[in-house]
Amino acid sequence: MAESSYGGDQLRAILAAAGASGTWDWDIEADRLAVDQHFAELYGLTEPLNLAALPTATFFKAIHPDDRARMRIAVAGMVAGAEQFSKEFRVVTANGVNLWVHGRGQTHFDESDKPVRFTGLLVDVTARKRTEERLRVAQSAGGIGTFEYSDGFATATVSHEFCRLLGLYPASILPVPTINSVLKMKDGPCLIPESHHGGPPESLDGTFCIVRSEDGAERWIARRGEIVHEGPDGGYRLIGVIYDVTESKAQESELRELNDTLEARVENAISERSQVEEALRQAQKMEAVGNLTGGIAHDFNNLLTIILGNVDTAIRRLDGDTDPRVKRALDNAQKGAERAASLTQRLLAFSRRQPLTPKSIDAGRLLAGMSDLLTRSITESIAIQVTASDDLWVVEADPHQLENVILNLAVNARDAMQDGGALTIDARNVTVGPTHEHEVPAGSYVAVTVRDTGIGMSATTVAQVFDPFFTTKEVGKGTGLGLSMVYGFVKQSGGYIYIDSAPGFGTIVTLYLPRQFVASDEDAEDIPAAERGKPTETILVVEDDEDVRAYTVGIVRELGYRVIEAHDGASALKLFNGDQAISLLLTDVVMPRMSGSELAEAARRRQPELRVLYTSGYTRDAIMRDGKLETGVDLLSKPFTYTTLANKLRDVLDRSESNIVA
Amino acid sequence: MTAPSISLDELERDALTEIVNIGVSRAASNLRKMIGGEVLLSVPSIDVVSQRRAARLISEREVSELIAVRQDFEGAFSGRALLIFPETNSLELVRAVTGGELSVQEVLEMEVEALAETGNVILNSCLATMANMLKRSLNMTVPEVLRGTGNSLFEVDETTSSEGLVLFLYIDFAVRKHDIRGYIAMIMDLPSLATLKDLLDEFIARVVGEDG
Amino acid sequence: MTITVLIVDDSKLARIVAGKALAELQPDWQKIEASSAADALTLIASQPVDVALIDFNMVDKDGLELAEELRVSHPDLPMAIITANIQDEVIARARAVGATFVPKPVTADGLQGFLSGAALRLRATKA
Repeated sequence: MAESSYGGDQLRAILAAAGASGTWDWDIEADRLAVDQHFAELYGLTEPLNLAALPTATFFKAIHPDDRARMRIAVAGMVAGAEQFSKEFRVVTANGVNLWVHGRGQTHFDESDKPVRFTGLLVDVTARKRTEERLRVAQSAGGIGTFEYSDGFATATVSHEFCRLLGLYPASILPVPTINSVLKMKDGPCLIPESHHGGPPESLDGTFCIVRSEDGAERWIARRGEIVHEGPDGGYRLIGVIYDVTESKAQESELRELNDTLEARVENAISERSQVEEALRQAQKMEAVGNLTGGIAHDFNNLLTIILGNVDTAIRRLDGDTDPRVKRALDNAQKGAERAASLTQRLLAFSRRQPLTPKSIDAGRLLAGMSDLLTRSITESIAIQVTASDDLWVVEADPHQLENVILNLAVNARDAMQDGGALTIDARNVTVGPTHEHEVPAGSYVAVTVRDTGIGMSATTVAQVFDPFFTTKEVGKGTGLGLSMVYGFVKQSGGYIYIDSAPGFGTIVTLYLPRQFVASDEDAEDIPAAERGKPTETILVVEDDEDVRAYTVGIVRELGYRVIEAHDGASALKLFNGDQAISLLLTDVVMPRMSGSELAEAARRRQPELRVLYTSGYTRDAIMRDGKLETGVDLLSKPFTYTTLANKLRDVLDRSESNIVA
Repeated sequence: MTAPSISLDELERDALTEIVNIGVSRAASNLRKMIGGEVLLSVPSIDVVSQRRAARLISEREVSELIAVRQDFEGAFSGRALLIFPETNSLELVRAVTGGELSVQEVLEMEVEALAETGNVILNSCLATMANMLKRSLNMTVPEVLRGTGNSLFEVDETTSSEGLVLFLYIDFAVRKHDIRGYIAMIMDLPSLATLKDLLDEFIARVVGEDG
Repeated sequence: MTITVLIVDDSKLARIVAGKALAELQPDWQKIEASSAADALTLIASQPVDVALIDFNMVDKDGLELAEELRVSHPDLPMAIITANIQDEVIARARAVGATFVPKPVTADGLQGFLSGAALRLRATKA
């Protein structure tokens, strides 16, 4: 009689001995059932029976009616030659209690393949059934899928949740390649490793990246489980679960990235911060120096005004009889004072306290107008070329200052080319893109370039070049104020400046002046001849500095106007008492107690059509915005000459009514 | 015309599963004799699905081309049985069944033949056993060896109605020692399914007896 | 005098398998092979055959038909129908034609009963 596997019998015997289960032995031929004591107990066979020779129907007697038909069919199959029997069913005990049991058995055949015995093991699984039920609920609630795989098979037994997690068609059996096909890394470890891929895995613990079959979503799946080794020939079974860990994986990787980049990001932040700090320091330095020079320049301005004014007066008093040496001396004094004045202008410009009168200008025209001035300043050994595009955009800048700036740059260029060279000045339209070349923000600009083929500057020099009083020229040559003034002008005009230089390679200085999108309102450059005033026109001069006031009053009177004066805002206001009509208020901007603009405002309340002309050498005031004046506000910068004052007075007085700003 | 929804109730499923089990057990036992190694069988999976789906269930399972032995049967119920191997495995099987008697050259030459005979033994024993259990006789064709995909093996193309349901039976088997694996698949069309249902009920009646 | 066994099967493999089992049980018996019923009839007409092993499932004429024909021309020939088709009906038909039924795959064990019987019968007739 063919025997079942030795192992199975042994196991049964052991288990039976341990009391864990009952055994049965169904003799098919003799139609007889033999059971052991434990089986009898499980089945609740209480009557005195010969357990070795029971009718085969006994097998079904205690089975729950709902399971009985199913079990009959299963047993019929075994008896007819099916090989494996593994069924769970309920047994109703004598007390009416339902017990879940698991029967595992096999059929034994004779030489002619006839089934002769059906033996098996019965185990009480009531507790397990309940756990399984809970597990099933937990699975679908908790998104856990189970799988079981016996090596050698092409399929694995899975739960519906398993299929759902992987986006596969729900089934209780899936082919292993189908399961593994959802893995993102096709040549990485398999979700279900088959035996022909090299034996059982070390452990089932792992995470896998998958692409869900039904919707293509990328998910991370964790796998846990056990490897059960079976049999002597290396067979094994894998029993495990999978669950989705995409959320925690995402957080994990975000965290890891943050960690990895932490150092880099901290470094970046630090370096950015340092750059900002450096820039701030530089700006603060410039500001401090500006303050300093501004203060000095202001005082100088006032003194110069006096000198210039008086020298001017003296010159005008000369007649044909005067000793020509006297005239020459006075002329020289005047020139000297004028040069000094232009110097303080530059200082003030640098300190950004020089209010500019910006106009819409065509830089090309301006350059063309400068060409003879340039030629005079530059020696013959240097070739000069001045060019500008034809359709140059309009920019808003103070034309005098711009001229000064260009002249300044040209002089520097000349000084860098002691042995001759080439100087190119050029103006053209430039649109700066988002890459911010030359550290200039994106936008439309007119770029004025001054290029020389001189000795060039080192990087360290370039970094210091805008500092006032910084100079590489020998003592006595140059004041070192040029480029700082240029810087001041550029900043006040809302532009940018870039220096490209290297020792031996010459220098290119580029000014970026923002394009102004209105038509140019250039007026004629010619300085008109002085125009006199009428005695019917009353000018009120308000100035807290005695000497400057005296000078100013003197000129105004000389020009033919009627002049009244006041030393501060309060006393000036008193003069608006209706006794007289004041044609024009000539006032300093910055005064103690009441500023020029406050005075003007108050005065206009009493006399709405009052014209106002401000003077100032020291502007840090509410009406100044970025060094420019509000449109419609007229400003005469100190020191001013006789002619300048005369023209400006006339200009303001003659302007049509509608131009007066209320 | 809509397909009538024929389905098997739980008991009928159980009965069919048992019958298939018996048939496949016999087939496995025969394969064991031919090869001499342990043959493992899975629990049969039984579904009533469309023919298209049946084809897909097979083609989805395998990445490589398939080689199959096909045998049609007719009688009280008709259908098609297939013994399917992934192509990569088939030579292994041939080597196993010829028991090292043949040279490599001869094995290659005999591949188709050996597969045909193996298929013959397995499918015949399975089907014959089932027929015996159901107490009806079947006529079987001579087995054919085919290569193809799930679709071609089940003769599914664009013209196949997606409504035609079939009984799709599927058993996985593996021979550990030789790393051979394959499937036995059976399809039966609906009218046959109706007859099968009756036969199953008869079987159940015989087996369950008065218990009902 | 050597005993000749005719193996009829359209499968070469099956013929090999049957031959092997035969050789195991009766090493000195001769075997000749035919791959179809027609082939078998030709062979048996040209030389003496003492035992026949016939596959059932063959194209054109199946094994049972051949067996029926042979039963007429060779009434005492020991015949076995070899097949995997173990349907009751097939077994019954084999018995009806006086042939033994041997299920495939053919093993020495499976063939033993038939061969011993055949040997006995042959000794009797030849005696």
